[in-house]
Amino acid sequence: MLLRTVLRRIGYALLTMLLASLLVFTALQALPGDLATQLLGRDATPSAVAQLRATLHLDRPAWRRYLDWLGGALHGDFGRSLVSHQAVLDEAGRYLRNTAILAAIVIVAGITLSLALGVVAGLLRDRWPDHTISSLSLIGMSVPEFTVSTVLVLVFAVQLGWLPAVVTDGADASVGELMRVIWLPAAALTIVMAAYIIRMMRTSVIDVLGSEYVTAARIRGLSGTRVLFRHVLPNALLPTLNVIAINIAWLVGGVVVVESIFNYPGIGTLMLRAVHDRDLPVLQFIAVLGAATFVVCNLLADLAATWLNPRLRTPGRAG
Amino acid sequence: MSEAQYGITRRSALLGGVAAVTAPWLLAACGDSGGSPQAAAATGTAQKGGTMHIARPPASNAETLDPASSLSAYEYLGALYSRLVKQAADGTATPDLATHWEATPDSLKWTFTLRDGVKFHNGKAFTSADAAYTLAHILDPATKSPQAGVLSPFLDKSGIATPDAQTLVVTLKSPNAEFVSLLMNYNCYVIPADSASTIGASGIGTGPFQLVSFKAAGKGSVKANADYFGGKPNLDAIEFTAIADVQARVNALLAGQVDLVAQTNLDYATSKTVAASSTATTATVKNAEWYVLPMLCTLAPFTDVSVRQAFKLAYQPQEVLDLAVHGRGSVANNNPVIPTDAYYLDYKVTPDPDKAKSLLQAAGLLSKGQDLYTSSYDSVLTPMALAYQSSVKKAAGLTVDVKTASADSYYTDVWIKKPLCASYWYTGRPIDQLLNQIFRAGSSYNETLWSDATFGSALDAARKEPDQAKRKQHYQDAQKILVDNSGSIVPFFADRTVGLSKKVVNYTEYGFEFDYLNIGFRQ
Repeated sequence: MLLRTVLRRIGYALLTMLLASLLVFTALQALPGDLATQLLGRDATPSAVAQLRATLHLDRPAWRRYLDWLGGALHGDFGRSLVSHQAVLDEAGRYLRNTAILAAIVIVAGITLSLALGVVAGLLRDRWPDHTISSLSLIGMSVPEFTVSTVLVLVFAVQLGWLPAVVTDGADASVGELMRVIWLPAAALTIVMAAYIIRMMRTSVIDVLGSEYVTAARIRGLSGTRVLFRHVLPNALLPTLNVIAINIAWLVGGVVVVESIFNYPGIGTLMLRAVHDRDLPVLQFIAVLGAATFVVCNLLADLAATWLNPRLRTPGRAG
Repeated sequence: MSEAQYGITRRSALLGGVAAVTAPWLLAACGDSGGSPQAAAATGTAQKGGTMHIARPPASNAETLDPASSLSAYEYLGALYSRLVKQAADGTATPDLATHWEATPDSLKWTFTLRDGVKFHNGKAFTSADAAYTLAHILDPATKSPQAGVLSPFLDKSGIATPDAQTLVVTLKSPNAEFVSLLMNYNCYVIPADSASTIGASGIGTGPFQLVSFKAAGKGSVKANADYFGGKPNLDAIEFTAIADVQARVNALLAGQVDLVAQTNLDYATSKTVAASSTATTATVKNAEWYVLPMLCTLAPFTDVSVRQAFKLAYQPQEVLDLAVHGRGSVANNNPVIPTDAYYLDYKVTPDPDKAKSLLQAAGLLSKGQDLYTSSYDSVLTPMALAYQSSVKKAAGLTVDVKTASADSYYTDVWIKKPLCASYWYTGRPIDQLLNQIFRAGSSYNETLWSDATFGSALDAARKEPDQAKRKQHYQDAQKILVDNSGSIVPFFADRTVGLSKKVVNYTEYGFEFDYLNIGFRQ
């Protein structure tokens, strides 16, 4: 039963990735200009453009270029970047590693912190810690990430001088160098992301606290901590899981602004460059990757929900 | 920021003639023009040694160290290479690898005497074979060098000869008395013979610094070349960091991670922030860019010369300068030649909105109005368009409708396509290149498609004229025709505000020149 669900979900995932790649390809065809005109800029004389297009095989029909790409991608060959001529997997791999490190820190530190704050706010509903946490998370939710990033840079890099403002080493930066710089972008992402998780967790803790089974557990005289860890937390986590999943998926696809402000050599930075240069193979790969992350995160969230909820775990007795 | 901002600033910086022709004394004289506390860079004795960190906008992931390429990583070039001739502070050609040059009276055959005892960074001696190879490499269609279009009308590979190791002889197909000035271009840095396929990564030149590492759109470094023929540079090394986002570049400066932000014009608010910081300051490059509203002479209504004149008479240049760039620059009076140029013609047609009004009335444009395209490609384009719009509305009653196009494809879909748009160029081109490349019929950069036989023949006469005073007269005749009849509304020259650390001394930049030899840290 579970296996069948997972297989079906993987099938949907592949379809989603295919559609994402097709969508990106079509969108890029609709954008004015192509790699040839973008690279040449004001030097784009008609003959230079025609020559470059021929070199890059951009003169072939769009559908054939898509099918060629698809054929390669099915064999795990995502082609070469039209700009740097490196294999897309190698090039994107380096940027992906950097985003993965950033995401790991945000997920481990940021999500743990957000969940804890959400629980505190929920347990102490309408008391001062709740008011403080709720107001701050509302602010974090409302302020755009570029403002958060800029304020963090001004305070911690420019005024206090504790942390570097930008990454200066480019995509080949060593993990050691990234570790010195990673804290401000991680903090910016955490602040923006945390708000949603805190608020969701708070709401569901409050819901669970008001439920009959918690009241029943309390009446039976179970200790406060046992009620919290055995009954409240697992149930409160369930609705929050999907919010967490969506936020993690957003981390890989949508960190563009934060990465740009910190010159962080991640997948968002690579995507900006690829869009600007109309570097189709790189962009296609990032689109597929983004779709895959989204699907995988949601799948994991659902599996975790099954694990947390006995009613979903034992088929036939659900509902 | 938006993807539109990525790298494009860099691309446009490559358009030719980066930075301004500005004499150091002029910088010093313009103390308050930027509204910043310190407009001129600090000068003084620099300490020996040190590593300078420079932030730069990357051209693209396809950046190369090949100087002839349109995708060269500009900031490295001046550090790594030398040219035959470089630009002096007054805009004229001065010796670099060529110590002396002379032409036959018909300006056809040019003989260059090359510097003796110069070595490339790999230890190989520099000879005339390298100079000849460099010219051939620029002219080679496979290189796709922007400078090929400038040189190829009167020069091809067969005209280049090397009678001995220290002599280069170039025979032109048609006379050009200003030939040497066209070799000051940053595409003309000298590379070793037979290095076309490797130069993009090796960066082997004869310049004050030699390459340690280079990564396209990433980090790279150069170290001092103790054997440099001009002496050892002050700095031990320079580290270049590519940062695509403008704000991130400024943040890196404010946080002390970099000492200089190259090729970046700080906007008014940012320059105030930088100037107010305790560690950083600003310097001004006077008249670094000229701004233009090109009217397409092949499309209505600008096929009619009186309409073009009316559009130039209808606005107040000072008003547009003040509104668009807070007065940080100087009025151009529709002449793109900068006033410090030796061949500059001090001539203007005084704005006359009433006359403009009657000309526009006759053409039926007062009731119709005119679309003016702009984009966020450069931060001044839209302010300039709006300032022009307000000036002509007020004075001549002309309605200009400002339309914003996508920055991403602005130079492919709007420029030289729409009848009226906003654009700009870096100053620093020698006058012969400026007039022939941007205003002459047949050039791919002629953005107004203006075609004027008398203008062309004035330029040809100048190229044929060996006598400098007479040549100047021809270039001035051409400027008058340009101001009177061309399709270019040129309201002003804009200064560039550069951000740098307070520790930096002897920062000098003008034309194609950046002084890598003397820049250093305060003692």
